[in-house]
Amino acid sequence: MSPSIQQQVLELIAKHDGIDKTVLKPEATLKDLGVDSLDAIEIIFDIEEHFDVTLPDRDPNFDTDSVQGLVNAVQSALDAKANAAAPAAD
Amino acid sequence: MHRVVITGMGAISALGHNASECWQGMREGRSAIAPLRGFDESALRVRVAAQVDGFDATAHFETRRLSLLDPVSQFALVAAREAVAQSGIDFSTADLAQHTACIIGTGIGGEQTHDASSQKLYAKGDTRLHPMTIARSMANAPASQVSIEFGIKGPTFAVTSACASSNHAIAQALMLIRSGRAVAALAGGTEACITYGILRAWEAMRILADDTCRPFCKQRRGLVLGEGSGMFVLETLEHAQARGATVLAELAGAGMSADAGDMVAPADTGAAQAVQAALDDAGLNATDIDYINAHGTATPANDPTETRAIHKVFGNHAQRLAISSTKAVHGHALGAAGALELIAVLGALNEGVVPPTANFIDPDPECDLDYVPNEARPHNVRAALSNSFAFGGLNAVLALTRI
Repeated sequence: MSPSIQQQVLELIAKHDGIDKTVLKPEATLKDLGVDSLDAIEIIFDIEEHFDVTLPDRDPNFDTDSVQGLVNAVQSALDAKANAAAPAAD
Repeated sequence: MHRVVITGMGAISALGHNASECWQGMREGRSAIAPLRGFDESALRVRVAAQVDGFDATAHFETRRLSLLDPVSQFALVAAREAVAQSGIDFSTADLAQHTACIIGTGIGGEQTHDASSQKLYAKGDTRLHPMTIARSMANAPASQVSIEFGIKGPTFAVTSACASSNHAIAQALMLIRSGRAVAALAGGTEACITYGILRAWEAMRILADDTCRPFCKQRRGLVLGEGSGMFVLETLEHAQARGATVLAELAGAGMSADAGDMVAPADTGAAQAVQAALDDAGLNATDIDYINAHGTATPANDPTETRAIHKVFGNHAQRLAISSTKAVHGHALGAAGALELIAVLGALNEGVVPPTANFIDPDPECDLDYVPNEARPHNVRAALSNSFAFGGLNAVLALTRI
């Protein structure tokens, strides 16, 4: 079984320099992890490339939202993509 | 050491095709930011830009010459012609041509030519490029074209420092004239950076506003790209007086610094260092300054950082300064930004009115100075600064005084 979306997002974040891995949990905010807004943009880019999705510009909020917020955003983007790909499936 | 004055100005931007239209737009706080034109907007997240509107290159240039002119050079030539005409300077006299410099800043250069070439090569699989692709797209093309147009034969080159390119270029001209290496200069900046590739690159930074540009305001959502050019005739005060020229202002000093820190996040210390250096170079005290045309990009990072830098340098006088960012009306024209904003400073010095920061809604507690929101203000401006702080941590500030 492939790793969960949450697990994949955590791994993508962990690859960045300077991430405090001891606090890398779904409930941590990017600020808790020591990620500034410019690092966050690169992390979001990695996530977009990995899942081949586009995340909205302003939401999730990079500074105050949690890692789980990013996971949820990826999930919604993947759902939207699946729906677009199979519009007649339901 | 020679005193250096400005005797001509020219501009083209989303606000208009000459300096007077651009200044009117700034003074009225009339934003030229509009829905993006010329691109399939369903494919882009960028919604708005400050694009030069209704520009017909064939009305300005012969068809034969146009094959050598990327829009970045076209804009520079249009602005330079206006500046030279206003100044009344004649470069064919005596040995003035050899003692005139031509220094033009650009952040990117001939990007539209690059973009079209890439389309041809990679999208269409057509391997034959126009023979003048290099001559059109090189970053020094605007400086070379302006030198050719006016027969300027002194030091001529391009300066590139992203959003500070114009101010760095004008600072180079100031130093050449002051030191006697040149008697006059055409200096300024130009940019024509709104291409599909560049828009995509800015999108990726997640730094563009989707509504409009609201500098120093709590509801600001990022910068809005602009384009255009501003060009100026600089000369020694003696030379201007000897030929009976009208002096628009004295270019009293310039200050430059590098943050030597982050490639994109600005530092208040680097900005403050450049502001202080401009004051020192001009022999001005902080309390002499009446107006600052701010860098004011409306990004989350720039505006509070710039505000802190101004506090650092000006202390109590910071609260008495009129400060505005005209990027709210002409967008962020990157390498042309400082030159367009010098038009605002010259207007403020000569008309005694400070152009507003347009599109302002509510103040941000982190930006606690007087940004002249929305309405121009009559103000006796005797001395002013123009700030430019670039990606890469490169800062250049100009100091201007009324003469």
